[in-house]
Amino acid sequence: MATSVAPRGGATRAGWMPPRLSRSGGEIARYAVLLAFLVVFLLPILWIWSSAFKSSIEIARSPFGLPETLRWENLTEAWTTGRFDRYLWNSVIYCTAIVGGVVALSCLAGYALALLPLPARDAILLVFLLGLMVPFQSVMIPLYYLLRDLQMLETYWAFIVPGIALRLPFGIFLMRGFFRGLPPELADAARLDGANEWGVFRQVMLPLATPGLATLVVFQFMFTWNQFLMPLVFVQRDELRPVSLGTMFFFGRFTADRGMIAAGVTISMLPVVLLYLLLQRRFIEGITAGALKS
Amino acid sequence: MAQTGFAPVADPARRATTGGLSGHWAKYRAGYLFVLPAFLLYAVFMIYPFAQSIYLSFTDWNGVEATKGFVGFANYRRLAGDDLLWSSLGHTLIWVAVGTIVPLVVGLALAMLLWRRPRGFTLFRTVFFMPQVLSSVVIAIVWGWIYNPIFGILNRGLDGIGLDALSRGWLGDPDVALFAVLAASSWAETGFVFVVFLAGLQNVSRDLLEAAMLDGANAWQRFRNVTVPQLANVVNVVTALLLIGGFSAFDIVFAMTGGGPANATELIATYTYKEAFTQNRIGYAATLSLVITVISLVASVVFIRLRERGES
Repeated sequence: MATSVAPRGGATRAGWMPPRLSRSGGEIARYAVLLAFLVVFLLPILWIWSSAFKSSIEIARSPFGLPETLRWENLTEAWTTGRFDRYLWNSVIYCTAIVGGVVALSCLAGYALALLPLPARDAILLVFLLGLMVPFQSVMIPLYYLLRDLQMLETYWAFIVPGIALRLPFGIFLMRGFFRGLPPELADAARLDGANEWGVFRQVMLPLATPGLATLVVFQFMFTWNQFLMPLVFVQRDELRPVSLGTMFFFGRFTADRGMIAAGVTISMLPVVLLYLLLQRRFIEGITAGALKS
Repeated sequence: MAQTGFAPVADPARRATTGGLSGHWAKYRAGYLFVLPAFLLYAVFMIYPFAQSIYLSFTDWNGVEATKGFVGFANYRRLAGDDLLWSSLGHTLIWVAVGTIVPLVVGLALAMLLWRRPRGFTLFRTVFFMPQVLSSVVIAIVWGWIYNPIFGILNRGLDGIGLDALSRGWLGDPDVALFAVLAASSWAETGFVFVVFLAGLQNVSRDLLEAAMLDGANAWQRFRNVTVPQLANVVNVVTALLLIGGFSAFDIVFAMTGGGPANATELIATYTYKEAFTQNRIGYAATLSLVITVISLVASVVFIRLRERGES
């Protein structure tokens, strides 16, 4: 297959080379392309990381070189003047509350819409489906005034409440899909044993839906951590900003000091990059399953 | 499941004979209680504002006054003559087309190259997907630096290989700024497309490919006639997600160029944001937000139809 997508090396030479050699030509071409993209995806990130340890002058003078001395003070200064401790902590609060809320409510509703008797099930599904298809902009403006009237704009709730509400359609359809894949006989057996509906859900069905739960947590975590437009519009006070937004305002304040900006950007991306490197299989499986099953 | 779509409580005869309401409650109580928390939150913070958006689009409200002046279809008539809207729509169409095709093609190519898990598979997969975990603000700042005319590595690189004629202020040039931002966006999106295709390829039958090879099909024919048809469903899903996201794209453009220079990167979503929150033309902004909504809805519906046809 290598020759089909990387014809530069393999396919053109295949005409006159003996089979074994053309095959290794294909392998060389394959790795040439893969390594080129490795550089494309990695270089910008490594460049910022190395710039985080440089002075502004050094960044301009030798952009590709390693730092002459490791200027850790860039990072400590960005951390304190950029208030990254505050922003990161806010992001942790938002992610915990929103992921928790979306997961809890989506599991309950998704389970009922999959397996419990419910009048007007199709109508309810249709209403949630609408929320899956319309963009955030369709509610953005009135939502701002609603949150203002509820006096939430000055609090964490300004992002948490709509952050949960608007992601319920995705969560519900995802969890409904997982619950529908479980054998309903298991629930019936538990009912015969005298369990009530809550017990059936909590003790029998929910544990079986753990893979679905993991998918939803990963998907929702990534979404919330990087969410930008919603907090931009609804989070009014600087000390309540999540790190995505805080990074932008930090960038706006310090455009001249490049070493410091690189340090701020590095701090901003480091937690989620580390988490990704630690749990990369879960991340990739979660994103894939979320994309294909919703 | 026979009860679906029919609410017995609406039937007065039944209510009278079988103790109706309490019977209905006993039967559906669990279902109601499980759905209710989600439904209430969704109704208040999604359905209600959605209806309000439609209402606001018929007013000339400025966000401050207590009364909202009803203006009928005036906002909708204004759309037709709004040059900025039409140029934003043009940019959005370019954004959707390029921003869908480039990640799709590159993501599929990379997935094909790593299909058989060659040596280094985990390293390549980890790196290719990495931009996907970065926030759009981080991507915007990093790529803003890459494009910087003074110290950016793009111009430095071009100078280094003797192509200094191509050097320019990438984000300051109205002719290239949109494509420069698109390159950054595609860089970030490709990893997502790549991992989804990688998963999709696991379901492509190797036996069919080997049979085609024995029948003398060349590499391109095998790819085109054996692999792609088996991937059709995955292609549909990925395309739809990119399309729908593309029409409401905002983050990276706003963080990188703010719609400039000279509105050259203004998308419909950034234009709507400015009308609403810097110009305070709430009524008109609501109308613009419904334009995005309608376009996204049409794209979703067309996609669902296509998928249904593909599955049957």
